[in-house]
Amino acid sequence: MAAITLDILLPRKFKFIIAMVSILGSLFAFLPIIFQFANYTTPEIMFEGSYVIDKFSLILKGLFILVTYLTFLLSVNFVESDEYYQGEYYFLLLSSLLGAIVVTSSRDLLTMFIGIELASTPMFLLSGWKKGDQKSNEGSIKFFLLGVLSASLILYGFSLLYGVTGKLVFSDIANILIQQDLAQSPVALLSAILILAGIGFKISIVPFHSWAPDTYEGAPLPVTAYLSVSSKATGFVALIILMSKIFFESGDGLGIILVFISGITMFVGNLSALQQTNPVRLLAYSSIAQAGFILAPLAVANITNNFEDGVYASVTYLIIYAFMNIGAFLVINLLQRNIDSENMYDWGGLAKETPLAGIFAVIFFFSLAGIPPLGGWFAKFVVFRSLLSTGEIFGLSLAVVGAINAVIGLVYYSRISKIIWMDSPKEDVQKTENSIIPSPLKVVGFVSLILTIVSGIFPGIFSNLGEASSIFFNS
Amino acid sequence: MESGLGLTVVVFLPLVSAIFIFLIPKKQEMIIKLVTLGSALLTFAVSLIVALQFDFNNAGDLQLGTKVSWISSINSNYEIGIDGISLPLLLLSTFISVLAIIYSFEHLPEPKNAKGMMSLILILETGMNGTFVALDLILFFVFFELVLLPMYFMIGIWGDKTVRSVSGLKNDIETRLYASIKFFVFTLFGSAFMLLGFLGLYFRGNRTFSIPELIELGSSGAFTGTFATLVFAVLFLGFAVKVPMWPLHTWLPDAHTAAPTVGSVLLAAILLKLGSYGFVRIALPILPEQAVAWAPAIAVLSAIGIIYGSLACLAQTDLKRLIAFSSVGHMGFVMLGISSLTSIGINAAMIGMVAHGIITGLLFFVSGSMAHTYHTRDMERLGGNMKLLPKTGAILAFTAMASLGLPGLAGFWGEFMALLGAYNPLPGLNITIFRSSMVAGAIGTVLTAGYLLWMLQRVNLGEPKEEWLDKELHDADNYELVAWIPLVILTVLIGVFPKLIFGATNDAVIALVSKAFGG
Repeated sequence: MAAITLDILLPRKFKFIIAMVSILGSLFAFLPIIFQFANYTTPEIMFEGSYVIDKFSLILKGLFILVTYLTFLLSVNFVESDEYYQGEYYFLLLSSLLGAIVVTSSRDLLTMFIGIELASTPMFLLSGWKKGDQKSNEGSIKFFLLGVLSASLILYGFSLLYGVTGKLVFSDIANILIQQDLAQSPVALLSAILILAGIGFKISIVPFHSWAPDTYEGAPLPVTAYLSVSSKATGFVALIILMSKIFFESGDGLGIILVFISGITMFVGNLSALQQTNPVRLLAYSSIAQAGFILAPLAVANITNNFEDGVYASVTYLIIYAFMNIGAFLVINLLQRNIDSENMYDWGGLAKETPLAGIFAVIFFFSLAGIPPLGGWFAKFVVFRSLLSTGEIFGLSLAVVGAINAVIGLVYYSRISKIIWMDSPKEDVQKTENSIIPSPLKVVGFVSLILTIVSGIFPGIFSNLGEASSIFFNS
Repeated sequence: MESGLGLTVVVFLPLVSAIFIFLIPKKQEMIIKLVTLGSALLTFAVSLIVALQFDFNNAGDLQLGTKVSWISSINSNYEIGIDGISLPLLLLSTFISVLAIIYSFEHLPEPKNAKGMMSLILILETGMNGTFVALDLILFFVFFELVLLPMYFMIGIWGDKTVRSVSGLKNDIETRLYASIKFFVFTLFGSAFMLLGFLGLYFRGNRTFSIPELIELGSSGAFTGTFATLVFAVLFLGFAVKVPMWPLHTWLPDAHTAAPTVGSVLLAAILLKLGSYGFVRIALPILPEQAVAWAPAIAVLSAIGIIYGSLACLAQTDLKRLIAFSSVGHMGFVMLGISSLTSIGINAAMIGMVAHGIITGLLFFVSGSMAHTYHTRDMERLGGNMKLLPKTGAILAFTAMASLGLPGLAGFWGEFMALLGAYNPLPGLNITIFRSSMVAGAIGTVLTAGYLLWMLQRVNLGEPKEEWLDKELHDADNYELVAWIPLVILTVLIGVFPKLIFGATNDAVIALVSKAFGG
């Protein structure tokens, strides 16, 4: 059945001339996912356990395809407006999507590594797509260098595992680790830390986050949106799979490291975001802070071994985060069309020019802040829930850290809405009349809007997905 | 199980209308206003029908509600219902909303934008009504937070534009911007921790968020020890910020001063009650043991709040700020009543909440309107209001009298009975602390009378200052009078027949107290 998905993806790679094909294709690829999900009975295991299709992977595949679809829509006007290579642009994004899709199903070291790299390599190119722009070049070089480093770290970690156990498939590795009482050995811990460091770059957690603001700022906005949503999610999916399939017996040490990383990531992301004047950098730091939130349940799950709640919380967070964050980037995109300044403090009173963008800004940014009834509250809620589920001290402390950070986050998330709705227009800033919003962007806006609001008012729908994924994942 | 249709309509009709209003073009201002008013009136009418259906003989039971699965994976339900405690507050909320909308017909501050203001009021109303009927902790939390966004924008967009300096900030900032974010951050700070407390109850209480079920568990002693102390602490934080109790009150004077008139009215009349209602509905019955342990502290903080609020009032030159600080004092009486943990004290808190809603709401209406007419709230410059604006002046005088607790008007019962409750708290509570708090409260009533009379003397009496003589000043117009007179009538009615409130609350409060504290 994976072949169905791949079949639909592969031909598209050669028909890259027109954006429409990619867009329709990615929408079309969504269908088999839905059918598979609807007819789902048991996990499909292929290639001797290397490639597994279960509800977890189906849901995340669906998420990746939908996110890519929205990214395409965001890109249409961008790619057309400047004379960039169109075909390659879509091809690279699709390759990245393929990588992400492979990661969700991969259950052995090689497949997973190929998936991770297939997902992230195209992004090195795409983040430098604005060829004439210095910032874009700088960001992409940074991203490339650190990305290569992270790939090698992951590879080191994987090869250590292989060296110790001689197996590639995760379940075999885990069995051998347990049988030979190696699960808590220094070797296993070292490989876990190497892998964590490698994936840490992809998901931009502290201290591996330094590339993110520069790359985000330099990259074309749709690419940035994709980076902060899909690439990050790919990293998290890999981390979730590795943590719960290999390192679930690795003892408290790893979990405690993760708890600290998660808490520090929230603080660093949020406190840095407070000082930004460039909205894209603000979102970059915000996405670092959000990564801390997504990591938190996994970290605590490593200590409590309650992976069911942990994975449930992380997956639910990832799904809701994806749509509100794409929405947030859309808002920046829309607002920037109306004004010639990258300093958001110059954007006073912009909402009066584009009320729709103004309303989007309120919805998406306050959703990121976690204010009910917008989707973000439920994402934060399930995270808190999983942190407190066993009443264990690390979870409790991390929940308190999270609560404090939710308040800090509000301060800067509210800032854009404040500026565009409440401040008076600056007179010395050039405004460009651009009141018509292109329809692809409107589609992105309304799709994300509906998903954000529905997930806030009827969180049951999304949490069922998260729950389904976590239950089947553990079987 | 009943359908809960009436309550559902009361909660969601305003929200649906707000979405509908988004679709009306901005230019059709009159249609927008009429739709809003119609929706609010209809909501009020439905809430009256609900009140008629309400069985007052069993006011202690939760009635007219329903329970439908909402978020099944965490076992959170759409569980609503009302008893004698929530009914008066629900009616107050739907009623004040109508008046606020009538007032807004002609009195929108800059930038006008009726569409924005009207839809915000309606969203706010959904949040307020929802909080009073929610019987599920998560549902409660969502409604409790739902009020934040509309109020934030109401203060931030329509608020006071004067520039002021704030200690700790480098640059001067417009009052509205400072006040709106301060309000938001303070409340969110409290409620973020409150949510952790709710989750704690959920995990210890058989994974349920249902308030009635948790009350059953709580009164049978399921929550004890450090866990209960921590949970009560975070719930206290969440609710006390909202009330607001001293020393968490500092957002209130800023928010009130900066908010547009309608915002101040809704804030004072309803939003503050969400906090004290939370204590009565959630904190006390679910964690009775902790309530007893914390009661003396709450009493002392309330007493400080009363004295502090009154003294702060004496120092104010800004009319709206004075009323804002008076709210701190009045809510201190409400909390003093609650802290006594007796049926007299909690009844006092209930009538105190309603009375404060009506009286302070009216005070903010009048002072907002005066600020609009005079373009200043500085009491040094005002004077002779009675001669300049006789109708407004008369209502201001009446309301100030009601606010200082004149017997025969609504404000009297809350203060008097709260002191009575504090004199004789639940057996086992430290009597010295409560009697001292009562004395402090009594001193507070004197101070309250002092500052309100002084305010009247400065603003209402005397000869008008010269700067006003040659100006044309508009006395209250019809919209204002339609919004104000009902509140005046209610003040008298509740003052003379307190049974209007007690009839509903008494049974419920006695049921609560006997279940939680056996007294």
